[in-house]
Amino acid sequence: MERLGVFLCSGCGIGEALKLEGLTAIAEELGAAACRTHPCLCSPEGAAEVRAALDDGTVGGALVAACSARAKVEAFAFDPTRHAVERVSLREQVVWSHPAGDEDTQALAEDLLRMGYARLAKAGAAKPLAEAIERTVLVVGGGLAGLTAARTAADLGHPVVVVEKAAAAGGSLAALAEVVPAGPPYDTLHANPLPGLIAELTANDGVRIFTGSTVASITGQPGQFHVTLATPAGEVALTAGAIVQATGSRPYDATRLGHLGYGASPNVVTAAELDAMLAAGGLKRPSDGAVPRRIVFIQCAGSRDPDHLPYCSADCCSATLRQIATIHHSHPEVETAVVYRDIRTPGQLERFFLAVQQQPGSLFLRGEVASVSGNGRLEVALRDTALGGDAALEADLVVLALGLVPNSADGEAIRIHSDAVRRAEKGESETQREEARKVAAQYASHQGTEILHLDYRQGPDLPALRYGFPDSHFICFPYETRRTGIYAAGTVHAPMDAAAAAEDGAGAAMKAVQCIVAAERGEAVHPRAGDITVPDFFLQRCTQCKRCTEECPFGTLNEDEKGTPQLNALRCRRCGICMGACPERIISFPDYSVDAVAGMIKAMSVPEEVEEKPRILALMCENDALPALDAAATLRRGWNPWVRVIPIRCLGSTNIVWIADSLSRGIDGVILIGCKSGDDYQCHYVRGSQLAQTRLGNVQETLQRLALEPERIRVVELAHDEFARVPEVLDEFAATIEGLGPNPMKGF
Amino acid sequence: MAAIPTLLPSHEFREALRRRGGDTASRCFQCATCSGVCELAPDEAPFPRRLMLLAQWGQAERLAADPAVWLCHQCNDCTVRCPRDAKPGDVVQAIRALVIEKLAFPGFLGRLVGAARASWPLLVGLPIAFWVALLAATGHLAIPVALPQHWAYEQLVPHVLIYSVFFPAAGWALLAAWVSGRRFWGLLAAGGPPVSFFGGVVPAVSEIATHKRFASCDAARPRRFGHLTLLWGFVGAAVTSGLLIVGIYVQHLAMPLALTHPYKVLGNVSAVLLVIGATVLVANRLGDGRKAGAATAFDNYFLTVVALVIVTGVLSEVARLALTPEFALAVYVVHLGLVLCLFLTFPYSKFAHMLYRSLTMVHQLGGAEASRS
Repeated sequence: MERLGVFLCSGCGIGEALKLEGLTAIAEELGAAACRTHPCLCSPEGAAEVRAALDDGTVGGALVAACSARAKVEAFAFDPTRHAVERVSLREQVVWSHPAGDEDTQALAEDLLRMGYARLAKAGAAKPLAEAIERTVLVVGGGLAGLTAARTAADLGHPVVVVEKAAAAGGSLAALAEVVPAGPPYDTLHANPLPGLIAELTANDGVRIFTGSTVASITGQPGQFHVTLATPAGEVALTAGAIVQATGSRPYDATRLGHLGYGASPNVVTAAELDAMLAAGGLKRPSDGAVPRRIVFIQCAGSRDPDHLPYCSADCCSATLRQIATIHHSHPEVETAVVYRDIRTPGQLERFFLAVQQQPGSLFLRGEVASVSGNGRLEVALRDTALGGDAALEADLVVLALGLVPNSADGEAIRIHSDAVRRAEKGESETQREEARKVAAQYASHQGTEILHLDYRQGPDLPALRYGFPDSHFICFPYETRRTGIYAAGTVHAPMDAAAAAEDGAGAAMKAVQCIVAAERGEAVHPRAGDITVPDFFLQRCTQCKRCTEECPFGTLNEDEKGTPQLNALRCRRCGICMGACPERIISFPDYSVDAVAGMIKAMSVPEEVEEKPRILALMCENDALPALDAAATLRRGWNPWVRVIPIRCLGSTNIVWIADSLSRGIDGVILIGCKSGDDYQCHYVRGSQLAQTRLGNVQETLQRLALEPERIRVVELAHDEFARVPEVLDEFAATIEGLGPNPMKGF
Repeated sequence: MAAIPTLLPSHEFREALRRRGGDTASRCFQCATCSGVCELAPDEAPFPRRLMLLAQWGQAERLAADPAVWLCHQCNDCTVRCPRDAKPGDVVQAIRALVIEKLAFPGFLGRLVGAARASWPLLVGLPIAFWVALLAATGHLAIPVALPQHWAYEQLVPHVLIYSVFFPAAGWALLAAWVSGRRFWGLLAAGGPPVSFFGGVVPAVSEIATHKRFASCDAARPRRFGHLTLLWGFVGAAVTSGLLIVGIYVQHLAMPLALTHPYKVLGNVSAVLLVIGATVLVANRLGDGRKAGAATAFDNYFLTVVALVIVTGVLSEVARLALTPEFALAVYVVHLGLVLCLFLTFPYSKFAHMLYRSLTMVHQLGGAEASRS
């Protein structure tokens, strides 16, 4: 951008704390086309002044030096396709957090103005995407979650395609006559809503249901997914805007629970088998067809067991209560006993539990099942019962409330396997081929498990979390997966009961619709919702190192045969991790680039050694660290005035050239503050902090070779709510740097 | 594998519990709030949660042997706090009634009194009818012609008649209580550590005399006062009766005694205590229903008989002093019938809690005594 205007706000105490004429002088020194001061820049009049200057061409870009970019967003929203606008946080980062009238405070404000100006100088107007966007929502899996997703999307006016593997839609709950209550007073069974839902969707012209069908392949990106279905009538090609994966779950393999007697006696059945028996209209003991007098239900069969399923399957308690209610209705004389660890009936289902428990033949006992033995008449041996010590129960029928296993595929693992198979054939050396064969054997169980068959560089399905559930950011945004436009719902998403699965289907459908609408507008989805910029790849300089295609957390980039990245901009979340990864620095956004941040670093004043004032650069993540900093400022918590903050989109977008530039300019320390990493990560881009740690680890080794202390660079992880810690972290780092003495590179 | 006990739920017990007002046991989901709030539950064997589960599973044998059933003074803290409205206080009360019935000797009398809801007219009416018949047969149903102005009841109903009815009745009640008490003590002691019976008696009597434990049930303070007053009133009345026998046959005192005579004073003070105690307890029962617990027929039967014994007793004295002899005789006959009813149903009615709770305290304190020595 050329002809930059500087707009200073003197409100909110800025005018009293700072010498604005000093800032004006700097704007002139930098060659600003205009420099204006307003007592309240965010007022309609103030904002109108900026807008007028942009509209009449007085200035090509505006530097708004007022409050944090997180404040007054709407007042300072200008058309990004025509103008570049940058914000300088004089209020939060200077006057609210540093003493008024102080020499260091003034220096800080002047530096931030120079840095903002440098960033604006490198910024350009956004060229938004204008792609043809398909509005259809593809739902993979026609169970309760999938069909509810289909109905939700259809109600929102989107065409829907449902793909169901089985011969009929309905999923695992289809055959039930009655289900757990979904409404008050929550004490009796309700009619199964699935037949009605199926009939409603079948009658809806906007919804197509393909039964007996699977996904053969999916290429493209949100808004433009090119889908091929394998149906009984042959291949069907269609385009979809977004995808809901609601492939459900299956019961855990009962034969692996030997101590519970499954397989040893025909009178030990799974909950699903009992459902089938009840649906077929008869409660019968398999061994002789007689009506069982005593039924024992064993809860947590496989669940909450480190040797089997470490998690709570969430559905089995309410399913057992449902079965007992059904049995007591048709066979009031049958006695049922439930052996449990805890009965988990969240929400209003507690009332259903109470109702079932009060039925005359209904018994419950907390305890561990030691064994199930016998053949015709079974004996269930219990340990540690709530009645004290061991006990045994007699049973004509034992029902195992098996935990659930998601019907998911681990896209990353499938890719590791297929890559290893390729290397095992085409590897350069025998050692490499041998190594690849080992990996292939280790991941062999993932072979052929594809569900979505995505044509993505990073694998054909959603990446999986620890227990095989598809990744989702369950803390902050539960539906987001690492594949933009694809949302998991129902029991494939997480263990949940039927009511939760239906709700989850509705939620995922809304996310799918949101994604399609964002694609139509050329906007990014969460978390940079509304961002219309697109990364630009200057491919002439690409060395095909594949770091960007590997490190993108969202599988945005595919590769051609040579390994050149191919951008699928509609998959992109605009985090800039590719930009941080690229050693050639060929990836940039109109308003965020390696060059722009490097310009800011260059614009910072670096005090001479004799001034004994270290200069510290803080690269802070916009998602968690920067809000925490703003919150600290709002509480008037001050921090070291030698620190200069540059907000970055993600710690993963940190290009190590920034570190090298900083140190070679004589900056004494660099601190990077990002979100929490690890299993319970809070990084909005999944692995930004982790990547920064790895990259910085390499840099620190280099520093040691250059006889620079590795302590000059630090990576800190901080949660959104740890605002009290931010000033402490900055002050402590400043003290460390002061202790180390000046950067020896100063003056070179 | 070593043999482990097979848990057979008793639906008969569950049904009996339901009839006795303990049907809310099935609402319990074992959160243990009740055991947490109970002031009386010992840390090493908390209740009433365990009792609730035993009740759900119909484990009558284990309930009969469980001291917790009798350590509960039914302050109903648990009932008030229970998140599931399972009313542990009522359930344990119903369990106590069932244990009394289960351990009763002979069993049919236990069942008869247990069914007080239906059998009460028989239980109350039969002893009164017996007295009417006895007096008619012995020619005492009429007022003697030469009754002095200051007459005594002995002149209406000879003492020998009273002794000939109440000594056998008391003997029978003690025999039945002895048999039941032995059964209960055997259940308490079975498989447990050694217990010193005599070591337990002294501390138990001291606790009972002061209602020390009852005092830790904060919520039941008025009930404790009423119960303690009633207890001492009965003790006073019993002592008065003993003193009167001494007075008549050893001291040869002339009846009726003057109101200022120490024995008369003691008797009247006891009567005042009984009236106060019974009034407090009846008022409590009629007052805060949730705190007082459910009023079962078994409970009401006992409380009503006790109250009527007191009322007719006091009224007998008032009638002797101020009303007609005819009226006095009528009241006195009813009083004698009710006292006989109280004696005969002692081992089978709620009155039996005196036996079982005392034994439980002796067992608990005797156990502590035995482990100390």
